[in-house]
Amino acid sequence: MIEFSAVTIVALLAWGVAVALDLVSVPQALLSRPVVAGSVAGWIAGDVDAGVRVGVLLELFALDVLPIGAVRYPDYGPATVAGVALAAGRPWQDGLGPAAVLGLLVAVLGGWSLQLVRRWNAEAVQRHAAALAAGESGAIRRLQYFGLGRDALRGAVLTAVGLALAVGARALVRLDDAMAMALTLVLVGCGVTAVVGGALRSAGRGLRISWLLAGFAVGGIVAALV
Amino acid sequence: MTSNGATNTPAGAGGAAPVSGRLRALLRLLAIQGTWNYERMQGVGMGYAAEPLLADLKTADPARHAEAVARSVEFFNANPNLAGLALGATARAEYDAVPGAQIARLRTALCSPLGAMGDQLFWAGLVPALVGVALVALSLGTAWSVAIGGLLLVYNTVRLWVGVWALRTGAQAGMGVGAAIGASWMPRAIALVGPVAGFAVGIAAPIVANWYLRGFGARAALGVAIVAAAGLLAMRYLGPAFTTVRFALGAIGLTVILRWLIR
Repeated sequence: MIEFSAVTIVALLAWGVAVALDLVSVPQALLSRPVVAGSVAGWIAGDVDAGVRVGVLLELFALDVLPIGAVRYPDYGPATVAGVALAAGRPWQDGLGPAAVLGLLVAVLGGWSLQLVRRWNAEAVQRHAAALAAGESGAIRRLQYFGLGRDALRGAVLTAVGLALAVGARALVRLDDAMAMALTLVLVGCGVTAVVGGALRSAGRGLRISWLLAGFAVGGIVAALV
Repeated sequence: MTSNGATNTPAGAGGAAPVSGRLRALLRLLAIQGTWNYERMQGVGMGYAAEPLLADLKTADPARHAEAVARSVEFFNANPNLAGLALGATARAEYDAVPGAQIARLRTALCSPLGAMGDQLFWAGLVPALVGVALVALSLGTAWSVAIGGLLLVYNTVRLWVGVWALRTGAQAGMGVGAAIGASWMPRAIALVGPVAGFAVGIAAPIVANWYLRGFGARAALGVAIVAAAGLLAMRYLGPAFTTVRFALGAIGLTVILRWLIR
């Protein structure tokens, strides 16, 4: 099992903040996608394979989400970083399931934390309503910088909680191989549910459903051949 | 005409806009959701991005500038990648001295179409298409740096180009931005990217599942198929409130209990 140095923990925390900010605030460059967040977190943690495995599995769940407007959705970025921290250094068949469990829990917590930040932002906007109505540019800048600061703080706390749970679980929780493997398989099944369910929902009844079904067929053939 | 009776030059918004102002507005648009809230949604972020575009108005017509800044932070919500269309159009309208109420109506009217088109183009189109390709590449053994680097490079090149196009188109069209959007490449791209996304995700699902199940054996594959089928049925019959995350958390709980009972 990999032992994390303080530098690695700090780097994972910084990466968690970056991906948390990326989800909504800035720059929305896809850093928060689990497949990206996980691969980079795996590289930081010294186990790229674990990062990719955890990232791809949580990506299946993320593909079910349309991050539209006021909708409440899980924050998979910091969640993936925490999951990778738990899985790194273990055989992926044993580590993937527990990592995905942790990832899903932190993602749900992240969705709740987004709601909290949005309410705090609304309160700040109300406090500055008079300045905004007067067209004071300084008030807009202050609101914007503090809004970004709140989201960065949210990302830092969320990632810190996730990493603490991961480090704690590595030290304290001992799952037998059968249990760990069962969790891995169940979560792969759930991931397939998420990606297929989301794709069917997005496809509707138009041209897209035909292309989706064609994709399933081609993918099935490729999977059988490799 | 300005509120002072003078004519403004559309320097901050139109074709003669200072490049630094447009560049700053474009960069600030990347943080348009930095103060996202349930009251004005992206309003404050739009105001922050509008500031460099409205700068020239400050010297030409300070009263109009204050009104324009106040309008720029009102309620707004659209897909962030297309918000530049509304930003450019409203900034241009401010320089053209269009009545404030008309600018506010334009801004409100643009929310729904820019939200719907952007969500189809990006969240339901380009993102799943590119992510699907990246998942296939990773599952087939492509180096992670190539798969992830390619995903980030392609997506960000497209969205930055769209951001530049949106701001420029909005600033050139002003109040006629609706017609400019309708005549642009966007409706055709939306019609194209949806099926591509469906195909890419469709290919990815079985290849990724196979990547995980390789080496586990037929019984494990059958078990995974049963879990997936149960999940799809549950979501089909229990409604949209029963999300995949809830299904997964339920399945985890059931697995732990069953394992404990079998022991």
